[in-house]
Amino acid sequence: MAVSTPVLGLAVLAYMMVVFYLGWIGYKQTKDNDDYMLAGRKVNPFVLAFSYGAAFISTSAIIGFGGYAGAFGLGILWLVFMNIFVGIFIAFVVFGSRTRRMGVNLKAVTFPELIGRRFQSRFIQGFSGALITIFMPLYAGSVLIGGARFMETALNIEYNIAILILAIIVAAYVITGGLIAVMYTDALQGALMFVGMGILLIYTYSKLGGVTEAHQALTNMAYLVPDNFAAIGHTGWTTMPAFGSPTWWTLVSTIILGVGIGVLAQPQLAVRFMTVKNTRALKRAVLSGGPFIFMMAGVAYIVGALSNVYFFDTQGMISLEVAGGNIDKIMPEYINSAMPDYFVVFFLLTLLAAAMSTLSSQFHAMGTAFGHDFYRQGIMNGKLGQTITVTRVGIAVTIFISVVLAYILPPGIIARATAIFFGLCAAAFLPMYSGAIFWKRMTRQGATASLLVGTFSSLFWLTFVHGKEAAALGISQALFGVDTLLTGTWTVVDPILVATPLSFLVAIVVSLMTQPMAEDHVEMCFKKN
Amino acid sequence: MLGIDDPQIWLAYILCFVSAVGCIIYGAFKWNDDSDNGEVD
Repeated sequence: MAVSTPVLGLAVLAYMMVVFYLGWIGYKQTKDNDDYMLAGRKVNPFVLAFSYGAAFISTSAIIGFGGYAGAFGLGILWLVFMNIFVGIFIAFVVFGSRTRRMGVNLKAVTFPELIGRRFQSRFIQGFSGALITIFMPLYAGSVLIGGARFMETALNIEYNIAILILAIIVAAYVITGGLIAVMYTDALQGALMFVGMGILLIYTYSKLGGVTEAHQALTNMAYLVPDNFAAIGHTGWTTMPAFGSPTWWTLVSTIILGVGIGVLAQPQLAVRFMTVKNTRALKRAVLSGGPFIFMMAGVAYIVGALSNVYFFDTQGMISLEVAGGNIDKIMPEYINSAMPDYFVVFFLLTLLAAAMSTLSSQFHAMGTAFGHDFYRQGIMNGKLGQTITVTRVGIAVTIFISVVLAYILPPGIIARATAIFFGLCAAAFLPMYSGAIFWKRMTRQGATASLLVGTFSSLFWLTFVHGKEAAALGISQALFGVDTLLTGTWTVVDPILVATPLSFLVAIVVSLMTQPMAEDHVEMCFKKN
Repeated sequence: MLGIDDPQIWLAYILCFVSAVGCIIYGAFKWNDDSDNGEVD
């Protein structure tokens, strides 16, 4: 690949200048805590939709899941449907309006704070904050890896240095500009991504001779599935994996359900519902949010799968072989070899934007979780005046952890780490969060029990049952001498399928067994504003 | 359909389009609707 360095350098420079300008605007406009945490609660619907989408869809989706589609095929399109229907429509219309209203009623500025105040529990807020602080770096680390991988392939920057550059740039504007800077840069980055992915889709289909032709060529390649993949259920790139096979379970339970439903309980996304002025803004945001997700995730997966056709035509190999067996390298390899140079420049910006937009929202969420929820509310019992300062320190600390994780996480981890975090959020937060906004009868005890059961059953399943993580962690091996405590199909069933229903059940049973919360408090939480 | 034989895949492919267009229609239709449908019992 021969992109001329000066052109690329100029493009990156121009892009960075705009980003920093928006970061500076964020800094200037940030006058109080509501500004820093919630962008002043008056964000425009387009900015909300693009920022939500850009934060949601990261390099994890484009590089990691696009690469997964390259290796395992188009079954992952179900995730796109879930992302649009659950991640946008249900999230904005059903969850968003109530979250926004309750956020205003309770004067909450973060996701853990919303839940904590609804149930009048500092423990819930502190524990949720700690959970985000500990596990979100895993997700942020994998996003860093995605961004750095592309910089490595396209710019020939050494991978380890690329990680550092990326982290420092994002840290600079998140720490100074708060959520205003995060959302405005996200929206800009979202717009760039939209255009970049649009070109990618059209170019790929036209290069492969048209929509149906491209799909047909991919369908005809089914006989090329490597034996070791066929053995675990891979049946071709335009067919679902064999029902009940390990590949099927990973696709359906971890990826489609884990990520598809887990998105509802993502703290960095849920907090955005509290940034708009009224319900109308949330409804308007659906208009641009749906197509945005389609253009990001849908395009990445379709193109990822179709890269097999391109590589087979040009090099006689399937994508996974071209990428040397590392699925995280399929998308970068494809773009570098199939796309014209000017587009590689543009796409680099697209990906940089995707990585930065997700990172910025993660850094902000981790920082507020650590500084505001865990430290200030959980440990200091609400004392300590300088929340913004504490949060800034929190952001710096959690960014550092993410960078360290990015260095030590194994190759090919991007899609998996993302899915683990989404699954954990679903189990730990979703029952408590849904109860908080939909069920007046839910009690503090019910919420606390559900939070703890969801968290620990999810972690238990990851450590002792779910084969991929349990074997890699080795804790089960060390304690019990076996890789996993259960065997057979159980080892491929994702934690989300076990822990989330369990957590819901506990939430309901414990709530019904305990005293309802004071009526005036509940009415205050739910009242119209 | 569309060069994809497995209905489980082309259905997903089509649903992606349908849901994205559905979002556009919903957003346009509710553009000025400020009623709060977050009613509680």
